[in-house]
Amino acid sequence: MKRIIAIAYVVWLNLLRKKDLYVLFILLAALLVTLVSLNIFGLGHATGYVKDIGLLLTWIFGWILSISITARQLPTEESRRTIFPLLAKPLTRGQLIMGKWVGSWSVVSTATAAFYALTYLIVVGMGGHLTAPVLVQGFVLHATALGVVCAMALVFSTRMNSDAACTLTYVLSGASFLVVPRIPQLMAKETGLGSDLLLILYNFLPHFEAFDIRRRIVHDYGRMPSGLFALSLLYGIVLIASLLLIAWIAYRKKHFSRGSML
Amino acid sequence: MNTAIETRSLSVTFATSSGHVTALHDLNIVVPKGTVFGFLGPNGAGKSTTMHVLLGFIAATSGEAMIFGKDVRETIARQSIGYLPERPDTYPFLTGRELLHISGRLFELKKHIIRERTQSLLEKVGLTAAADRRTATYSRGMLQRLCLAQALINDPELVILDEPTGGLDPFGRMDIRKIIHDLRDAGKTVFFSSHELSEVELACDHIAIVAEGHVIASGPADTLVPEEENLERYFMRVVREHSDASRAKQQPF
Ligand SMILES: Nc1ncnc2c1ncn2[C@@H]1O[C@H](COP(=O)(O)OP(=O)(O)OP(=O)(O)O)[C@@H](O)[C@H]1O
Ligand SMILES: [Mg+2]
Repeated sequence: MKRIIAIAYVVWLNLLRKKDLYVLFILLAALLVTLVSLNIFGLGHATGYVKDIGLLLTWIFGWILSISITARQLPTEESRRTIFPLLAKPLTRGQLIMGKWVGSWSVVSTATAAFYALTYLIVVGMGGHLTAPVLVQGFVLHATALGVVCAMALVFSTRMNSDAACTLTYVLSGASFLVVPRIPQLMAKETGLGSDLLLILYNFLPHFEAFDIRRRIVHDYGRMPSGLFALSLLYGIVLIASLLLIAWIAYRKKHFSRGSML
Repeated sequence: MNTAIETRSLSVTFATSSGHVTALHDLNIVVPKGTVFGFLGPNGAGKSTTMHVLLGFIAATSGEAMIFGKDVRETIARQSIGYLPERPDTYPFLTGRELLHISGRLFELKKHIIRERTQSLLEKVGLTAAADRRTATYSRGMLQRLCLAQALINDPELVILDEPTGGLDPFGRMDIRKIIHDLRDAGKTVFFSSHELSEVELACDHIAIVAEGHVIASGPADTLVPEEENLERYFMRVVREHSDASRAKQQPF
C-alpha cells in the first residue's frame, strides 16, 4: 500500500508542479464565463439551463482531463527511462499500475469536485436551487465513471505510446457514452448478424449512462433510490477492477528494452 | 549461499525490424558475495543486457539468472538490490531530496531512516547544496550522482552499477571509487560495468570480460592479467583475439 501511495504521490507532484494546473484554472474560468454569460443573455432566470450547461461542461472537462492525464503516465516513465529505477525496486508491476490509477483518478476527481462546487455556487448565487444530497450522489457516480475512463486509458497505455492510447480511449469511451444507450433502438431495426454484433457491443462496452444522473439533478427529481445508487456504484467498481486486471495482464510480462519504448 | 549473482547459459535474443540480434549467448557468470566484480567488454558486448535480465526488465530467451539464490523473476529478489542505470534520468519536477524520499518509500523504509539516509547519501555524493533544487536544473554528472544515491537508499546487499563513472569529472570518479571501497568494507557485493579500465584495476577483486555475449575471460583481478601487461592491454588483446577467432569461424577459408 505504501508503494502504491508513493507512486500516486509522484503523479500529484507532477501535475501540481508542471503547467497542468493552469489548464485546470482555464477550464474553471471557461465554466465560470459560460455560466455567467448565460445569465447576461437573459437565460439566467432559467437556472435549469445554467445547471444543464454547467454539468455538461463538467462532464466534458472531467472526461478530457482523465484521458490526457492517465494515458501519458506509463509512456512517459518509459520514454524518460525512469521506469528502470522503479522496476529495479521491489515494486510489482501491479502496484505500479494501481499507483498510477490511484494518482490519476484522485487528481481528476478533485478537479471535478471543483467544477461541481463552482457550478453549485453560481446556480445558488443566481438564486437557483440545487439539492446538495442529489449533487453529491451525482458527483460520486461521476467520479466512478472517471475511474472507469482512467482505467481504460491505462489499459491502452501499457502497450502504446500516449498519443495512441489517448486517441483510442477517446474513441472507445466516447462511443460508449453516446452509442451504447441507443443500441436497443438500433437493434430493433437490425436483424441477423448486425443485431448479434450490437448485442455483443451492448454487453461488453461500459454503460456510462449508469453513472449519469444529470437530468435528476437539473430537474430536481430528488435522490436516487439507495439500492439503485449502490448497484451503479458496484457496477463501476467491477468495471474498474476488470480494466485494471486487463492492464496488469498486459503489463506483467512486458519487456523493457531499448527501442521498445518509442 | 555464497554467491550474489549466478547466471547459467543465459541467452537473450531481440527481434528487430531486420532480423534477430543475439545479445547474450550462453553467458555464465558467478559473482561471489562480498566482492567487487568488474564486468567489462567492448560496446555492444551485452553488459547492460545482462543487468537488465538480472533486474527483470527483460526475460531471458533461455537459461537462468539468480540473485542470492532467488530467481530474478521474483520481486523479492529486488529487495536488497541497488541499481544505477546506464543513462540515468529522473523526474525533472522533483528535487533531489524528494527523489531520495520517494525511493525510500518504495522500499517501505521508516520515515526517520529515510531522512537520515537521504542526508548522509547527499553528503556522500556531494549534492547537499543542490538537494532542494529541481533535478531539471542538474548537470549530467549531478544526475548521475543523484541516481547513485537513489541506488543506495535501501542499504543494499548487492549494488549493480552500469557505468557509474560515465559523465563524471575526476573528483566524481574518485568519489565513486571511495563509495565502492566503502561498500566492500561493509561486506556488500558490487557488480559494475565500466570502460575506465584504470578505475577497474584499482577497484575490483574479480573481473569478467564479455564480447558478443560470451564471457571470454574471467578471474581474480590480481591473477587474471599477466605481470607484463596492464588491464587495458590485456583487455585489448583478448577482445581482439576473440573477434579474430569468431571471424575465422564464420569464414573458414
Ligand atoms: N532492444 C533491443 N533490440 C535489439 N537489439 C538490442 C536491444 N537491446 C540491446 N540490443 C543489442 O544487444 C547487444 C548488447 O547490448 P548492450 O546494451 O547489452 O551492450 P553493452 O555491453 O552494455 O554496451 P555499451 O558498453 O555500449 O553500453 C548490442 O548489439 C545491442 O545492439
Ligand atoms: Mg551498456
